[in-house]
Amino acid sequence: MTEPITTMPSPFRMDYTYVAGTGRSVFLRGLAERRLMARCCAGCEQVYLPPPEFCSRCLRELEPPFELDGRGVVSTFCVVSFPFPGQRIDPPYVVAHIQPHGAGTRLMHLVREVEPEDVHIGMAVEPVWVSDDELDTSLLSIRHFRPVHYGGADA
Amino acid sequence: MTADSLSAPYTVEFPFERTVGPKIGTFLGGLRDGRLYGAQTERGVLCPPLEFEPETGAETGKLVPVADTGTVTSWTWVPSRPGDPVPHDFAWALIAIDGTTGALFHAVDVDGDSARMATGMRVRARWRAERVGQLSDIECFEVAP
Repeated sequence: MTEPITTMPSPFRMDYTYVAGTGRSVFLRGLAERRLMARCCAGCEQVYLPPPEFCSRCLRELEPPFELDGRGVVSTFCVVSFPFPGQRIDPPYVVAHIQPHGAGTRLMHLVREVEPEDVHIGMAVEPVWVSDDELDTSLLSIRHFRPVHYGGADA
Repeated sequence: MTADSLSAPYTVEFPFERTVGPKIGTFLGGLRDGRLYGAQTERGVLCPPLEFEPETGAETGKLVPVADTGTVTSWTWVPSRPGDPVPHDFAWALIAIDGTTGALFHAVDVDGDSARMATGMRVRARWRAERVGQLSDIECFEVAP
């Protein structure tokens, strides 16, 4: 008699090409130079980081890119405690939505150089960039964000 | 202007593993052993089997060996792509396995000649030499003499 099997591999795999588009490409090229390029909508004054080409509210073409310094605050975060295939860092670690000063949108990135239990909403953070030879047209040009201290006081 | 746009190749991959029930598990074990199984139900032997009858929700009965030959009830012609079971153009088909009710979905190899495909044609499973308990243990179906 046939012995039943209990599990079967059911892998999902998809190969595709990501096309950044003109707007996102400005942002990505900026990252390769340690610059965070934002754009503003003249209609509603929303500041996008990363910026698309057109305002998603007004559908107006955005104004020319300008630079932000990347300092901002944690608007929300989660502590990743769970291992999964392809993970680059040993858990636990913190992934946060960061609202850069001057931007109306948020970036998602790692918050490190701080214990996960000490991260809080409203915490001031700044980007830590990779070394020159690692810079690329990628958000990985920012290694992570870390707490920033203004004159010794946690802002 | 796409000339200004960056692009990059990406791959998304999840190594899922799926738990199968006792009936489908036996069906897959049968594939590994080079045999097809169907499950007994009120409307006849169901192949491929299910754990439960879709219409009544009743549990299906015990598994019985069935033939590895059948009749094509529906098919569509496709160009071969990387990862497909047949290296040249072929048909995906619903196959009514002899003596059973239901439809087995699999590839039919007619040497790339779509003129040889027809509803009602007789086919037979072409088994792989090395089998692991997956539907791909049947390489494809081929024309039965």
